[in-house]
Formats: sequence, C-alpha cells, structure tokens
Amino acid sequence: MELKIAVSGINAVDNPGPGIGVAKSLTEAEDFSAQIIGLAYDAMEPGIYMDWIIKKSFIMPYPSGGHDAFINRLIYIKDNYGLDFVMSVLDAELPVLIKYADELEKNGIKTFLPTYQQFKLRAKDRLEEIAQSIGIDIPKSAVVSSYDELIKAVEKIGLPVMVKGAFYKAYRAYTTQEAISYYNKIVAQWGYPIIVQQVVSGEEMNVVAVGDGEGNSLGMVGIKKMWITELGKIWTGVTIKNEKMLTAAQKFIEKYGWRGAFELECIVDTKEDRVYLIEINPRFPAWSYFSTGVGVNIAANIIRKAFDLPVKQYADYPAGKLYVRFTDDLVTDMDRFQKVITRGES
Amino acid sequence: MNRIKQLAINEEGFVFDPLTGDSFTVNQTGLFILQKLKEGKETEQIVKELTEEFEVSQEEAERDLIDFVEKLRSYRLL
Amino acid sequence: MKKIYQKPVITKLQTGFMNKFGSSPLYARKVRTDIDGVPISELVEKFGSPLFVISEKQLREKYRQIYSAFTNRYPNVQFGWSYKTNYLKAVCAVLHQEGAIAEVVSEFEYEKARNMGIEGKDIIFNGPHKTINALKRAALEGAKIHIDHFDEITDLEHIADEIGKQIKVAIRINMDTGIHPQWDRFGFNLETGQALDAVKRIASGGKLVLNGLHCHIGTFILEPEAYGKEVEKMVKFAYEIEDNFGFKIEYLDIGGGFPSKNRLKGTYLPPDVAVPPVEEFAEKITDSLYSNLRPGDFPKLILETGRAIVDEAGYLITTVFASKRLPDGRKAYIADAGVNLLFTAFWYKFNIEIDREVQGSNEPSVIYGPLCMNIDIIDEGTMLPPLKRGTRLIFSPVGAYNNTQWMQFIEYRPNVVMVMEDQTVEIIREKEDLSDIERRERLPDRLKIK
Repeated sequence: MELKIAVSGINAVDNPGPGIGVAKSLTEAEDFSAQIIGLAYDAMEPGIYMDWIIKKSFIMPYPSGGHDAFINRLIYIKDNYGLDFVMSVLDAELPVLIKYADELEKNGIKTFLPTYQQFKLRAKDRLEEIAQSIGIDIPKSAVVSSYDELIKAVEKIGLPVMVKGAFYKAYRAYTTQEAISYYNKIVAQWGYPIIVQQVVSGEEMNVVAVGDGEGNSLGMVGIKKMWITELGKIWTGVTIKNEKMLTAAQKFIEKYGWRGAFELECIVDTKEDRVYLIEINPRFPAWSYFSTGVGVNIAANIIRKAFDLPVKQYADYPAGKLYVRFTDDLVTDMDRFQKVITRGES
Repeated sequence: MNRIKQLAINEEGFVFDPLTGDSFTVNQTGLFILQKLKEGKETEQIVKELTEEFEVSQEEAERDLIDFVEKLRSYRLL
Repeated sequence: MKKIYQKPVITKLQTGFMNKFGSSPLYARKVRTDIDGVPISELVEKFGSPLFVISEKQLREKYRQIYSAFTNRYPNVQFGWSYKTNYLKAVCAVLHQEGAIAEVVSEFEYEKARNMGIEGKDIIFNGPHKTINALKRAALEGAKIHIDHFDEITDLEHIADEIGKQIKVAIRINMDTGIHPQWDRFGFNLETGQALDAVKRIASGGKLVLNGLHCHIGTFILEPEAYGKEVEKMVKFAYEIEDNFGFKIEYLDIGGGFPSKNRLKGTYLPPDVAVPPVEEFAEKITDSLYSNLRPGDFPKLILETGRAIVDEAGYLITTVFASKRLPDGRKAYIADAGVNLLFTAFWYKFNIEIDREVQGSNEPSVIYGPLCMNIDIIDEGTMLPPLKRGTRLIFSPVGAYNNTQWMQFIEYRPNVVMVMEDQTVEIIREKEDLSDIERRERLPDRLKIK
C-alpha cells in the first residue's frame, strides 16, 4: 500500500519540532510505503532540504487563518499532488484540524486525532483531576490572579515555588519577593491567570504513547532525559520502565479513550515512589523516533489503525537503550529555496 | 553607487543581493522597474515605459514609482 | 495589447517570516461587493462614506438561532436586549419585535426603553448607578430592579416607604466560575457570604420582596462550562434563599458575555475554531439547570445576550483616503473612519474586506483612521494588496458597542443605515452636522467675535 502522508513540524532546529522523527518512523514501516510530504511554516525549515526523507514540501498558512486558509490549503495539496493522511505534530494545528476532521475525511484526507473534549484535557487546570483518576500525584498548585491570592498560595504551598503562566513561562522563586516579581513579569507579558506550583524533587521522565480511541494502547515507551540543552530539550536519554508511570499512561488511555499520540511529562521521585504529572502534550514529542528505535513504531501503528491494516502488538521494549541526538549539516543550491519562496512548494 | 546593478534577479521574481546576502521577492511590475533601474534609466523614462507596457495612467504610474523607490531606499538598495 | 497593471511590490525575506501565505490570508484578501444583495458602491453613493450598515436579516436570524438554542432545551426562557450593546431605535425595535424585553443599565437607557414604548414590567434595570429618581420611576412602573450594592437596598427601602408598597427586587451576585478576571465589582459576592448577607438584610427590612437572582460572569467567554458552574451556584443559592427566607425565586438571570465571531487581539485561534457554537453554551446551561433544579421546578431563565446577537449584523464601510510609505518600509493607508467610530478596534482585529478584486501580491500594511491622534489605528499589521485611493474597505463584525461607544472627536458621525429584509435601505441614524454638535453650547455675549 502506497500512502502520501503529510507531516508538519519539520523544523529540525535547536528547538526541534517532532516532524522529522515521525517522518523517519513512517518511512521505516515495512507493511506500507509512506511518501512523506513536508508541511512547513517557513522556507527555512530544514526538513524542506532533507530530500532523503521528505520528497516534497508545501508552505502552509498559519492555522490562525482557520478554515478558509488552512483547510483549503490541505485540499489544494490533495488535488494537485495527492494526500492520504495528515500527521499533525504541532499543538497550534490541532484545534483547526479537529474541528474540520470530518470535512477532510470527506475530501479523502484522513487524520487520527483526539476529540476536542480530549484535547482540552491538556489544560493546566484539568491536571489535578486527571492525575487523581490515573493514580499519580501532581505538585500542589493554585491558580491566582491577585497579589493577595499569590501570597496566600505561596504560604500554603511553601517556598520555593514555581510561578507559571497559563500557557508559557515558568520561573522558580525562592522568596515571596521573587514570586511577586515573576508574577508581575508574566502578567505583563501573558496576562492572567498565574499558576503557583510546588517544587518537587525527582527526575524528569516521559512517556510517549498512542491511544486507539477505544481505550487500547497502540504502543508506549518510557524514557528518562539524561542530558538536556539550555532550551530544556532532550539531547541524550535512556529507556526506562517505571511501572507506576507506565500504568498511569495506560489508565489515561483507558479512562479517557484517548485517540492519537500523546506525551506525559512527569517528575519521578524514586525514593518516595511518587510520580508527579507535570504536563500532557496532545501529540508526539520531538524525541518520538526513540521509540521506533527500540522497536515500537507508534507512528506506523497510527497509520495502520487509520487505514484498517493489521495493527502491530508492541507488548514490550528493552530498558537501557540509549538515545543520542547529534548535529549535521548539508550544502545545497538556492533553487529549492527560491521555489519555496516564489511558489510556496518545493 | 547603487546596489541595484549587482542584484541577481530571476524571472519568477526572486531577487538576491550578493553584497548583503539578503533575498527579496518582487512582483511583475516591480521586476520591470528593477530591470529599468538596473539599466540606469531615469524616472521619467521608466514612467513612460510603464505606461507603454501596462494598462496604467501616467499619474498612477508616477505615484507608484515614487512609492516603490521609497521602499527600495528603506531596504537600502538605492 | 498592454499587460494588466499591478502596483509594484518588493518584500524582503526575513528569517522566521518566509511564508508565502503568512499571517491569515483570510483577513488579508477577501472581496465583498454587497451586503445582503445591496452593492457597496450603491450604498456609498447614496449615503456617503464612512457608513455603518446593519443587516436586519442577519440580526433577526442570529436572534432566532440563539433564542431557539435555549427554547429547544428549556421551557421557560426570556431574552433581555442589552441596550448598551446597541441602542439605536431600529435595532432595539427589531429585537423587541422578535420578543426580547429591554435590559438597561442607567437612567438614560431606562428613559430610552420607555420612549420606545416598552412597559416598565418589561424592563430589566441593572447597573451600579441608579439615581433615586430613576429607581422610583422603575419601582412605580414595576420594572425588574437588580440590586448592585447595599446602598441601593437602603435607597429602595426609602422609596418603598414613600410609595407605600413593597417592591419586588432581584439581587446581582458575583462568583468564581473559573473565569479570569473574575467580575467581582458588580453585585454581592457569593463565596464570601456577602450575597447571603444581602438577602438577610432584605428579609429583615421587610419592605422589599426578593424574587430573582442575577449574575454576569464576564465578557467574551469562550468556555461554555463556566456558565454551567454559574447556573449550578445560582440554583443552589436560590434554594438556600427559598428554604430559609420564604422568598420565591421566580427567575434566574444569567446575564450575557457570549462571544461573537470576532477576533480578540492577541488570541491565536481564528474565531471559526475558537468560538464554540451557541448550542454548546445552551447545552451546558440547560444541563446544569436540569441536574440542579428540583423536579417540576422551572424558574424563568433570563439571558442578556448583546454582542452575540448584534455584532455580526454590523459592517462599517470606509474609503481609502490616502496612502503613504512609512520609514520602516510598511505601507500605511488612511481611512476615513478610525477609532472615533470603531471603539472596539482597541480590542478586536476585524475582518477586512475589499470592495473589488485587486491585482498584486500582499504586503505588510497599517490602516490608520482620520484623526490627528497617534492612537487612531484600526489595524496595526495586516497583509493587503496595494490599494488605490478610493478603494472601499469593509470592516466587520462591528454591530456591538460601536454605535454606543463611538465619540464625536473632530469629525461628524456618519449615517447608519439598515438593509431591510426586502433589500430596501433605510437611514436609521442620520449623519451629523455642525448644528448637532453646537446645539447645546452657549457662547457668552462678551466672548462673541464682533
């Protein structure tokens, strides 16, 4: 079976999008032949030039353009080049794709996404409820929108605390004064509300997994980040098997009927045997090729599920496999760049 | 010395400045004007040629040429 | 054969901005040649530019859509038209014809509603500043008075003494529904017990009869669940009052705050994705009613939706008066309407449509208004093709809050017309001239220029 699969997030830069890892995983599947179409938001996204993985790329209008721009562009790609599946890996694309998934399907373009209700679960104010229902903890936290509430929250949680914006930015404050100044800083830039959170000790561990939408897992791998960059991105990691964390991911899929890829970001305190849920990302992480590398090709399983091919059962994976990211460079002519600039496609 | 003469201009409207490494996109009319400027033509001559080549009044061509030249100045291409 | 002319454009490629389709072509290149079948050119020719245009058809359709979303789910629903959103007579009249009562927030608005022929009993009187005169009139005429603060309770008790009868009242409460910022400056706070204190105070006075609760959780609310929480808390509080004080809470006014398909500045998602359909709000609200109300109890549900009804029915036609090139290379257009007419430009990024097909590729552009004032900007950054002088730009949605918050600053306010359902066009507010502005002025004799 030959499939044309569009993958976004092909910006393989120092803060990489998940696209290249997902594209590599798809091309490695043996039971179908994936031809990868790159969806880029800038003519300088490296994936456009990595022609051994991505044959053809299209510049996309930003998802903020909504239906008329974004969805119509996908339909244009379908009509002019062929497109069977869109593998979205960017948060910003999800709402518009979820909203218009039926319309895409009618136009012969499949997706495999969470429902909008599921997508909203990732909101920070829902984490407590989710953590509870899947048997893990979350750092104590409070949502505040005034000095008064902030100071009360700091007193209740105890210093040091993390001061976070609802969507972006997080600072560690060791004194109430510091907490107030970070509060002001975030409010000035991102507005209300602010989240005050307990600082928990432990190691950063993550799970990548896929739910089939019916409560079953289509593959799951747990890792620990061993070395991260200044931007907080993984550079070296190792596969691990923390039962509590993996069970929580399994329960998350069962309880919420999650459909599509997701990542659980956790802090694991092995001394106290506690797992804290920090974030749920409703998509592949940038390091998702790690799971393919240890034999769990979850991206391929999504395609199998979507096209009614036999799904592979990935019951297990080896712990102690190493993930190493490295940099590379390539030299090319300006042709492709010119084409992408003037025509919007390579 | 204006930099226009050194610009690498392709027919699809992609412009590359080897001096700075900057790239630009330009539409058909802009391309036409750039080529004339490259040939060293004066404003009046370019306006005349614009009105001969395109469906445009002298007044509009003049106004637009001034605007385009201002834009080139803002990019320090002139 | 000469070639078709496009205005010349050159754009530098900048890292991070090398996207041919860039920021929302949806808003950058849309052509609108008519409103409800009436050509833009004809509208401007007859009524001038700038010109506010309100579509009767869209106004009625929107009202019916929202109203039926609720009446299909709950048997006892009443809409109150929020006058402050747009109190042009023609707009109010359309909505009153559709069945809305009036929701007013000041003495001026109260008088306006009465002048429209709306009876006192069909007026909801909200707001923190109700003068004694206005309160007295409202009490005598049987309006639904929603108390905002303790001083108002005292005022009403004095009036009850004066007119020699009990006055039916509701109180406005505020609460935490997870919406930030929490609107806690209006009414009595629920969580701190202030609302309960207000009820006690009303009960002990014996001069007022509490028969309703009112709450308004915020504005442009994108989270339907917040209304579910609001309703739950209101119903529980209503039963607490009924069980302990013997009042019968006949209605729950859950306020408004429903979004229109407008785009708030600083929000990433486009309105067609970000704004939930009204049915979703109705679903959450009525679900919450059914799961909290006692069997067989169906108090009247009042909604004061304003923006969601009128915003999308309003357009502003403007004309490109001049253009210039800014020192940073951006193109700037001066339109004949600015923030003087579009107060909501301070928080919305409008849909911008052009009245004709224009050749040429888009470039970063700024749209300024006509005022001699630095803040007069309608859009500080959008992608537009090069526009000729005289091109019309149509901004929307502008039906909410502009015809009430606009200002007369160095320019006259223009005609407002309504495109009627039969495609005739009526002036509903005539453009101003000098006499309108000077009518109230008095020039002392000694200052007169001889």
